[in-house]
Amino acid sequence: MKNEKLKLISEEGIRIDGRKLEELRPLRIEIGVLDKSDGSAYVELGKTKIFAAVFGPREVHPKHLALPDRAILNCRYHMTSFSVDERKPLGMTRREIELSKVIREALESVVFLEEFPRTSIDVYVEVIQADGGTRTAGLTAASLALAEAGIPMADLVAAVAVGKVEGHLVLDLCDIEDKYGEADMPIAMAPRLNSIVLLQLNGRLTKEEFRKALELAKKGIMEIYQKQRDALRKKYSEVSLMEV
Amino acid sequence: MPLYFSEREIVLPGQLLSDDSKRSGEGTYVLGSRVYASTLGFATVKNDKVCVIPFKGAYNPQPGDKVIGIVIDVKPNGFEVSLGRHLTATIKIPDKKEVQALNLKVGEVIYAFVKESGLRGVFLEGGEKIKKITSGLLVSMHPSKIPRLIGRRGSMINMIKKETGCDMIVGRNGLIVIRGPSPTNEFAAVSAIKLVEKEAHSQGLTERVENLIKSILGGGVESEE
Amino acid sequence: MSISQMKKSLTARIVQEKIYNLLMQGKRLDGRSPTDIRPINIVTGLVEKADGSALVSMGGTKILVGIKTEVGSPYPDRPREGSFTVNAELLPLASISFEPGPPDERGVELARVVDRSIRESRCIDLEKLCLIEGEKAYILFIDIYVLDYDGNYYDPSTIAVLAALATARIPRYEVVNGKLQKTGEYFNLQLQSLPFTITFGIIKERFLVDPQIEEESALDVSLIIGVDEKDNVVSIQKNSPGLIPENLLEQMIETASEKTKTIRQKFCEALNIGK
Repeated sequence: MKNEKLKLISEEGIRIDGRKLEELRPLRIEIGVLDKSDGSAYVELGKTKIFAAVFGPREVHPKHLALPDRAILNCRYHMTSFSVDERKPLGMTRREIELSKVIREALESVVFLEEFPRTSIDVYVEVIQADGGTRTAGLTAASLALAEAGIPMADLVAAVAVGKVEGHLVLDLCDIEDKYGEADMPIAMAPRLNSIVLLQLNGRLTKEEFRKALELAKKGIMEIYQKQRDALRKKYSEVSLMEV
Repeated sequence: MPLYFSEREIVLPGQLLSDDSKRSGEGTYVLGSRVYASTLGFATVKNDKVCVIPFKGAYNPQPGDKVIGIVIDVKPNGFEVSLGRHLTATIKIPDKKEVQALNLKVGEVIYAFVKESGLRGVFLEGGEKIKKITSGLLVSMHPSKIPRLIGRRGSMINMIKKETGCDMIVGRNGLIVIRGPSPTNEFAAVSAIKLVEKEAHSQGLTERVENLIKSILGGGVESEE
Repeated sequence: MSISQMKKSLTARIVQEKIYNLLMQGKRLDGRSPTDIRPINIVTGLVEKADGSALVSMGGTKILVGIKTEVGSPYPDRPREGSFTVNAELLPLASISFEPGPPDERGVELARVVDRSIRESRCIDLEKLCLIEGEKAYILFIDIYVLDYDGNYYDPSTIAVLAALATARIPRYEVVNGKLQKTGEYFNLQLQSLPFTITFGIIKERFLVDPQIEEESALDVSLIIGVDEKDNVVSIQKNSPGLIPENLLEQMIETASEKTKTIRQKFCEALNIGK
């Protein structure tokens, strides 16, 4: 180990990648990128790069797994082997299994599953490069893919991570801030409903810090939410008026 | 009561549409006493209800719909028919002789009517209402775009048929069979369908489709080689 | 893992008949001629964390490839060489017919066919990947992901692997006081050959190249042929049940030789390689 400690935030409050404390990384959103799915989206948040695709509602196989009163929502969060610094072995890690579950539950909170009994809706999130905030960017992408697939839901889901790095609360942690910071708190919201659909904390925050971190996350989420809506509208903007 | 959208505005899930919960129609939901969009699509008012016409979405079979399907299983008391990638329908025929008389094999394409659709699944009419399709080019398009392909009182589909010289059978489930005098004519019809699917909601589509067909066929309908 | 047959989607008979009838007239569903390949698009360097990466589309089929390097022990029988392994996964995003889970037999076959072309054409100079004879060598992990599947994932996978290899910057390591460390420098692989593959579909006595998805389901049998820039045949795989008329083989090899030239030219243009 080297003696000098890694400095993540400068005296002036500038972060290691040049951002201010409350600044998101550049966000790029594309809708409808994978033709064979029913809905898809690509989200780039800084160097975090993610594809999401949705299939369904479709018949459940085997049939006995179907639910009589609503659709089953399946979700797989997966990372390519080269998405991280050290090559990830093939197959699902425990982390990927956990994230698949929390992402699924976040989406289940907004999708009107009862409109499609005995069917399944399958959501696939594929991380092609991970630089922090993959579950939140994955959710942002997945909700866009669901919307494009025409799946009814109460709201879009927008998500971001907040955290504490060298004593400062920061928005949208990149990988190195996540690794060496004191706390990482991914949050996903259905902004229109003023509700939280995913919330995790890894690290330590005082109650006061938690309250401030939540406020900061909300600010980032509203910014992402706006960009999601812009991207969806833009996708259909040429699609002006129907001729009938 | 005010509406919070202009007619045919593109709306997104969660977008506020109206304050009157009684006016909640298709593609919307009520929260508190207000109406919000649940689906991505055009907002409109239909029979005094606020509705969203989705850009995409699963095909929801209605009794009387004409559909095109592929036989995927033959059983003693009927058939199973695929109506596209997400949907399977059943044809129930109590009389075994009648099943045999239809002489349908796995992989064959039929044209049929929806009898009922509900929690127990989708059922098609049996008997004489089933027509076997023995040749043609089978193409698929998104079911939500089928009304656009047909057009007002069949204007779009009739124009495509006339300009390409092809016979076309359109299934409400998104499968279409094309039979034309030559591969070029059929290719023109397929290209027309692709353009309708891609630009279903844009203005001046009929004219653009017509121009596309003309550019492919070079002005005249090709005859059999 | 299952080694039983994968479920094949059912195709309507009239589709098969149509494809055959068109082929008899030298035509295809999408307007191509039997020996036309679909448009190819190559983007490299999308994944900065990989040592090399490429996103390639061939018509509607999209493939993502990334390369990671590790340092390990050379094989005892090849103490002066590094090594590489190829893996492939058919992601469930790509098609309704791909299931989540470990690579099934199709993924394994894809990886092995691509591996064969690269290995047999001696594309990578493995001796250059040796660090200390008999002790340390570079190992390249080449991972293929099928992102969008509209038929024939073999040919674009090979293109993507070669594009990732050609543009890879491999971190150089050194051993100081018995410890392995990065020097901070990078080196290029300088490929020794460019072996591309062509996938053939055969219906009765006719063949076509680069089948798209509807055609794939109507084929009697399919065959993949890899050819390098010296016109050597470097890999062959019959990858479906069915009968290949013997008299077609020579013609297919000729076509593969010709069509891989087309791909090679596009590849070099896209990557700015003066080959």
